[in-house]
Amino acid sequence: MTDEPIHDDELLDLLGRAIDAADPVPDHVLDGARAAFTWRTIDTELAELVFDSTQELAGVRAEEANRQVTFRAPGVEIEVMVIENGSRRLVGQLVPPAMHTVELVGADAVRSVESDQLGRFTFEALEPGPVRLVVLGADGARIVQTEWVLF
Amino acid sequence: MDVGDLLRRVIEGDQRAWDELVGRFGGLVWSIARGYRLGALTDDVVQTVWLRLAESCDRIRDPERLAAWLATTTRNEALRVSTKQARTRSVGDLPERADPSASSLDEIVTDDDTLRHVLHGFAQLPAKDQDLLRLLCTVPPLDYATIGEMLGRPIGSIGPSRDRALAKLKKLLPPGLEDHQRRQSRKGEAE
Repeated sequence: MTDEPIHDDELLDLLGRAIDAADPVPDHVLDGARAAFTWRTIDTELAELVFDSTQELAGVRAEEANRQVTFRAPGVEIEVMVIENGSRRLVGQLVPPAMHTVELVGADAVRSVESDQLGRFTFEALEPGPVRLVVLGADGARIVQTEWVLF
Repeated sequence: MDVGDLLRRVIEGDQRAWDELVGRFGGLVWSIARGYRLGALTDDVVQTVWLRLAESCDRIRDPERLAAWLATTTRNEALRVSTKQARTRSVGDLPERADPSASSLDEIVTDDDTLRHVLHGFAQLPAKDQDLLRLLCTVPPLDYATIGEMLGRPIGSIGPSRDRALAKLKKLLPPGLEDHQRRQSRKGEAE
């Protein structure tokens, strides 16, 4: 028997185990994490998120709820806005403008549209969950794809 | 097998190596995401983090720092979502909980008395202390530099803040907990 108070490291270890016991990772979340393997990308040009209005306006009470983001890869930018009008609409533009097939890839489904002469494209009724945009060349090969984002 | 080997195997297309990474780091990502109290959006944040690792696995330069990479990626995604949530929330639906620091953990019970006492004490701590302790008790552990960066606090303040938060937590624990804990661990050693 000892009167020594509990040691800090011991308490942190207990806390870690307590949090894990009370709130373990749900099975469906682990399943999703394992399934993410399917989407690994190697040697494809990746357009990185370089602007996100939710970050720029953090702390400011903005009237505008529509989120704007910009992805950039060498030689191309993809501007995207998500319009919250009940059903969520994603509108985008390729810069410089170009006519391409643009895919909206979710973890479960892929949808595709054609961009117009100004490089504009629209996806209606955006579902929740992470997505990425993929721009295809005339031969169907992937020219560029964006990072995964959660809109 | 170390993380560098696992990442190399993933790049070569080995699903089992990926599953092993999920097994080692899945709890870390989940626990950090839960710390942002995002409700059902937590699942999407965690999924996005794993998709981001899948797309970046050939560009992780320092495999030893994968825990830190996952932690900061989780934080960034969680903050994006929570900023958006805050901005789109109208005045009509203010937070459902009066006390934003209240953790849902308080309502969850475990069979183990010791763990239950620790959780109960933890849930009574101010949100700032909860956020810090949550980052300090992850498996695998995070270094102070990463924790400081995630919390936006200087690295030198992490040690002293840790001591203060743990001292507060100890005061919230019933007396004799340490004896119980030691008996438990001794029992564990004997087995």
